[in-house]
Amino acid sequence: MSDPEDRAQARLEPIFAPRSVAVVGTTRIPGTVPFDIFQNILKDNFQGTIYPVSPKERSIAGVKAYKYVLDIPDPVDLAVIVFPSSVVNLAMEQCGKKGIKGAIIISAGFREVGPAGVRREEEIKRIAASYGISFIGPNCLGVINTDPSVHLNASFARRMPKEGNIGFMSQSGALCTAVLDYAHAKNIGFSKFISFGNKADVSDIDLMMYLKDDPATKVILVYLEELTDGTRFVRAARRIIRETGKPVLVLKSGRTREGASAAASHTGSLAASDEVVDAALHQAGVIRCQTVEELFNNAIALAYQPLPKGRRVAIVTNAGGPGVLTTDAAIQEKLELARFSESTRETFRKSLPVTANIMNPVDVIGDARADRYRVALGSALDDDNVDGALVILTPQSMTDIDLIAEEVCNVANRSPKPTYTSFMGETDVASGIDILQRRNIPHYILPESMCRAFARANDFLRERDRPEIPPVHFQDVHPAVAQKILSAAAAAGRAYLTQSDAMAVLGAYGLPVLPGRLASSPEDAAVAATQIGFPVAMKVESDDIVHKFDIKGVLLDIVSPEQAKEAYRTIVANAHAAQPRANIRGVFVQQMAGRGEEVILGLKRDEAFGPVLMFGLGGIFVEIFRDVSFRLAPVPADMVRDMMHEVRSYGMLTGARGRTPRDTGALEVCLQRLSQLAVECPQISELDINPLIVRNEGEGCSVADARIHV
Amino acid sequence: MERSEIQHRVQKVVSSVLKIDSKEIAPQSNFVFDLGADSMKSVELIAGFEEEFNIEMDEDRAREVQTVAGAVDFIATYVQ
Repeated sequence: MSDPEDRAQARLEPIFAPRSVAVVGTTRIPGTVPFDIFQNILKDNFQGTIYPVSPKERSIAGVKAYKYVLDIPDPVDLAVIVFPSSVVNLAMEQCGKKGIKGAIIISAGFREVGPAGVRREEEIKRIAASYGISFIGPNCLGVINTDPSVHLNASFARRMPKEGNIGFMSQSGALCTAVLDYAHAKNIGFSKFISFGNKADVSDIDLMMYLKDDPATKVILVYLEELTDGTRFVRAARRIIRETGKPVLVLKSGRTREGASAAASHTGSLAASDEVVDAALHQAGVIRCQTVEELFNNAIALAYQPLPKGRRVAIVTNAGGPGVLTTDAAIQEKLELARFSESTRETFRKSLPVTANIMNPVDVIGDARADRYRVALGSALDDDNVDGALVILTPQSMTDIDLIAEEVCNVANRSPKPTYTSFMGETDVASGIDILQRRNIPHYILPESMCRAFARANDFLRERDRPEIPPVHFQDVHPAVAQKILSAAAAAGRAYLTQSDAMAVLGAYGLPVLPGRLASSPEDAAVAATQIGFPVAMKVESDDIVHKFDIKGVLLDIVSPEQAKEAYRTIVANAHAAQPRANIRGVFVQQMAGRGEEVILGLKRDEAFGPVLMFGLGGIFVEIFRDVSFRLAPVPADMVRDMMHEVRSYGMLTGARGRTPRDTGALEVCLQRLSQLAVECPQISELDINPLIVRNEGEGCSVADARIHV
Repeated sequence: MERSEIQHRVQKVVSSVLKIDSKEIAPQSNFVFDLGADSMKSVELIAGFEEEFNIEMDEDRAREVQTVAGAVDFIATYVQ
């Protein structure tokens, strides 16, 4: 139990399940945060004891008030501090002396307001640490625990949500209030509802780990504006999913590419921070959502229904058109229309009108009442060829909406398979939707959202149950060689490795570099080219020239010693002309890579996530379509394969449309070796292998060019 | 002006604005934490001091003053 993440439960117990709460700095003025928090705790029926602490008031809302927290005669578990930021330190000091171990600091005016606020935040952290106080905030909305034995609404939200099994935590307090309103309208309940603000002490990771062990929480929802410790975050999320099977859903704002413009390499500019976040969350098995609506569409599916074990859906509908729409949406999400067994079809034949469609979608016809839905849904769910059901209803004059809703709930709740619903419309179907929501049957306004949620739930199951395959660790590598080159470059203050050094580093990790050497004169170039064998490529070698092609510092397909001499002179002259002050060490002569598909492999060291690998096909696929994939290194062996398959242009390598299949096995090994290099050479900040030539099946790959930034 | 006189008159203003018995007002009393001044009362206190001492204080700096003794020191820089 050495990992601090494992101590979250005990550390946060005074905050989530206190027996007594002091609201420190409260007032008698309704409509203010200090009063409303006190009032919320009181009116929402907190099961423990509440103490108002106010410098001036003798009582608040009829409850005896204390001037100082130290004046309270009994022990206090939790302090909810609502004083202005300037005196929160004094309040914390007294809480410490009182022996309080948990606090929620609602007050704003800390890190978010600038240097003075940073100092105040550091001061309260110091005091909290000296007394062993764990605190949430500052600058937050507060915390809600719906557990009936606690029933704490220590927040200034307008309402307390109903009890449920979704744990929600948010960096934005304002979003919390909007979510509560949204959830209320959809009858969604929560186990814990947490606004964590500046996370000066208790972090988002601590809270996730608390929810991991919280028996009332089945699904964890997180809203983030920043991911400061990405590596720890994804490790914690992965652990939660692996150990408990609880889904973790993340809505992260700030999908900006601003960071990309400052990047030093191709990979750097492609690996904009948000794409790395995407890859990292995906790698951890986290379901990333783009909107609040998508977050809850997925959450209700995961929280209310069993996970679909497969992608074979039965669609039950009382109208043809919506059935087709749902079919389209299902196929789009890579779901399959289940093929019903003969016995299921026989049941349909016997129980449904002759005009009913007994294939999939099952059309129970516009005049269907509850009994037809019961038979169709029940039989479909009982069929071994079905992994889950999607129920569509359109409100026709004879449709008994409420009865059908009740019947759908009855049948769905008896089945070990999931049922999702879409009662299409708004006014007429409202009471039916209300029944579905109250009985925890996921309902979606649009069939498309329903199909997407079904697919995500099945994706989650597959990710959760994916066996842990470790990254491949190669023994035939020479880390000492790479380290020596990288140390020398650092000592010389070089930002980029020369071509020969870059090739040597890659070669040390077994990446297939082509034979080559540095030539120091036209004659030497001719000798080198002859030794290597024609045709050769020749590239200027200089610490000062990064973009060799741009200054015409590269010549290809040199086929004779004479051409090699001439090429040397041309390259050096071009380099001098473009950058007169560049220190030119010579020209790198290298075997030509030969024919094959060009791909790009890259590495970028991300501030939050550490080393990130990139893969894409060369040329327009990367430049125009940004058709690339990312994974955090070290990349497990199976995920290297996923990474390759993920790019849309991958078919170019596997023989699509009559193309020659390329050596994808060798490519996979290159990515695995690069993953090991990324982990073992932390000095490298960015690296491009561009291009790596992937030759025909069985013929391997070659590094044609590479750039390494240290 | 003597410091003791400033102290006496500051206490008088604080007692009047915050409606607290002046016996409860100690030099180390924090306006917010001990005496319960909210942001509105803080503005009233500054106005009260300016009127009492016939001075015009730098409002930003005045807002940073946290205790009664601090207010005495701050006002002293204007009246001496």
